[in-house]
Amino acid sequence: MNDTEYDAEVDLVVSSYPIQDDLDEDLLAADQVPQQYQEVQIPEVVKNFILFFHRNILENNVYELQAIYEHSFNKLTEKFYAKESWPEPEAISPLVNDDQVFLTLYRELYYRHIYSRLTPTIEHRFHSYENYCDLFNYILNSEGPVALELPNQWLWDIIDEFIYQFQSFCNYRNRIKNKTEEELAFLRDNSQIWSCYSVLNVLYSLIQKSRITEQLLVSKNGGDMVEAAGEYGSRPLYKMLGYFSIVGLLRVHCLLGDFTLALKMMDNIELNKKQALFARVTACHVTTYYYVGFAYMMMRRYADAIKAFSHILVFINRTKQYHTRSYQHDQINKKGDQMYALLTMCVTLCPTRLDENIHSQLREKYAEQSNKLSKPEEAMAVFEELFQFACPKFISPNGPNLDDPEVMNLTPFEPIQHYTKIFMAEVRHSILLPTLRSYLKLYTTMGNEKLASFLEIKPEELRQLLMMAKIRSRQIKWVSGTLLEGEYQGTSDLDFCLKEDMIHIAESKVGRRYGDWFLRNINKFQDILGGLELTTKA
Amino acid sequence: MARVSNTPATRPNVIQSLIDGVDRYNPDNVSILEDYLATQCTNRECDAMANFAILKLYQFNTHLTNDQVVNNILVKALTTLPEPDFNLCLYLLNENMVGEEPVVRLVALQDLIEQARYADFWKLYEGDDIYKELTAEVLGFEDAIRANIANAVAMTFQSIESANLKAYLNLDGQKFSDFVKAQGWTEANGVVSIPVNKDNEAKTTVLTENIKFEQLTKIIGHSNE
Repeated sequence: MNDTEYDAEVDLVVSSYPIQDDLDEDLLAADQVPQQYQEVQIPEVVKNFILFFHRNILENNVYELQAIYEHSFNKLTEKFYAKESWPEPEAISPLVNDDQVFLTLYRELYYRHIYSRLTPTIEHRFHSYENYCDLFNYILNSEGPVALELPNQWLWDIIDEFIYQFQSFCNYRNRIKNKTEEELAFLRDNSQIWSCYSVLNVLYSLIQKSRITEQLLVSKNGGDMVEAAGEYGSRPLYKMLGYFSIVGLLRVHCLLGDFTLALKMMDNIELNKKQALFARVTACHVTTYYYVGFAYMMMRRYADAIKAFSHILVFINRTKQYHTRSYQHDQINKKGDQMYALLTMCVTLCPTRLDENIHSQLREKYAEQSNKLSKPEEAMAVFEELFQFACPKFISPNGPNLDDPEVMNLTPFEPIQHYTKIFMAEVRHSILLPTLRSYLKLYTTMGNEKLASFLEIKPEELRQLLMMAKIRSRQIKWVSGTLLEGEYQGTSDLDFCLKEDMIHIAESKVGRRYGDWFLRNINKFQDILGGLELTTKA
Repeated sequence: MARVSNTPATRPNVIQSLIDGVDRYNPDNVSILEDYLATQCTNRECDAMANFAILKLYQFNTHLTNDQVVNNILVKALTTLPEPDFNLCLYLLNENMVGEEPVVRLVALQDLIEQARYADFWKLYEGDDIYKELTAEVLGFEDAIRANIANAVAMTFQSIESANLKAYLNLDGQKFSDFVKAQGWTEANGVVSIPVNKDNEAKTTVLTENIKFEQLTKIIGHSNE
């Protein structure tokens, strides 16, 4: 598909508004009264805030907008709108001369606030979707690039929230039991709203418009960046939206259970590069590593998953004092906790020495679970508990078939249960491995039969267990290139082989490290010498 | 070491550009990918990435789903175990499909291979004609499974009793001797010896540190002053 086809698709979605507006009228009639009421009720400070906000949007003052977006808006929310929605966009429209672009941006915040603080109704969900279409339509289909500039944090949040609301809608659509006839009719008649194709369309269109892939290739291989970026991509708004859309696709594909495609989205992003773009926004940085790590884990590339989780958890630890003040503090901490849970599972499945700090944090948070995971009789329950706590909120791409008269009587498809089941079938095989490992560590040679009797299994079962342990100890591990590439490597410090019924065991040891010590002291010595030379000169 | 890039050498350009771009979401392209799967089945090749793309199209457009194609993709994925392809396919199927008879049967086969219960695998596989029917369109299915079993054995054993190996491979007599010979293994006195390779040697190693050049830049800089 090419650009124009995409645009046409977005147009198509947008042009279907009037139909919904008709439908909405009855349902919205009830809302009319409170709306008028609120109009009178807007406090003076909020009015002033909106005027100030509007002025800075018109002036593209990114610096002020960042303060408005990250602080003022949240402060006013706490003060006036902790338990109710912000003033209706229609109510503030006279304040901003009916500026449609501003109102679209305002609605983005308005609906996001409803999603995070209140319970969105079906109208909210639909209108918020329409508003996103308006916003992306304005950005993608205006004549030439738009002059708008927004802080990176907000741009990230737009993509992040867009996907969150998509996911939230999919789960909402799945639960049809408590819905009214009207709501069901709504869902039936508007199947393209929040559909997978429309969401992917937006993300891919942003990627194409910004020429972000071309830009990333130039920054990797060299070349003319201005030419690669083009008219749109050289503007920060487009460039960052394009980039965040790549991370957005990583997430969407994970939510849909397509883990290889998720990692494939990252083909042109170099994860290990210092000053990568994703690191400019902490939430994006954390999200990127969470989904990369999770996708690796589901592909059984535990060593790579452990590396991804460790990397970002070290980062979160190190920058703790900065983000305690951020409004996203809680979210980052929650993702952190989830990643410790995933890490706990990964190190059980693939024993690995962790970074000291991460290891002690892990012991602090999940010591009990960690111990239980190595006990065959308790492991399964704990694996399930940790997986369900830490996995992304999977979605089912197609809702229930509402035209099927039987649909109300069917148990709804629960994607998380489905994924848990497949994952659990996989780990079930591994539950004896920690015990096997603890025995192997004690010996250098051992008879098959003797070990089998320790484990209380038959000698033939032990042979099978050993073959499985051997296979599991070799994994594809990333060395260079794209995230999907890698080489088969041993991931265990414990290796063994069988000569008929005799098990020979070998343990790898880590030699002492001298390099750091010498480097430090050579530098210290150099400093002393330098100091001495200075004093003799003086 | 074996390098994995998810790009088989035999992948045609048209498939490559299809799965790299947004065309992979276009339902009209499903037949191109299905034909490519059919080629993989007859030519004894496997291209997991391309097959995932079929399942993706089915996931979004359930009405396109062709059960025989899903079946063949899963059978193909059995032949690449212990690669994770099989489960990665299951994650793309919806709950109803995973609960259906043919898939349940293939999962049962997978379960045994994953646990290295090879003798049990053959017992189940040979015990009911249905399994041969399910795997019929994937040419060389048994050979592929046997090759993977041989690989697992060669990773684990330096020598193994012939009786055990025969059970794992489900081979006997001349066929067994031929297979052993083809692997470069030798059989004597009821024991098959497997040459030492990097996976079955179990050598104690001491990991020594590597100093990277970057760590030394500061020191080298000093020596220039």
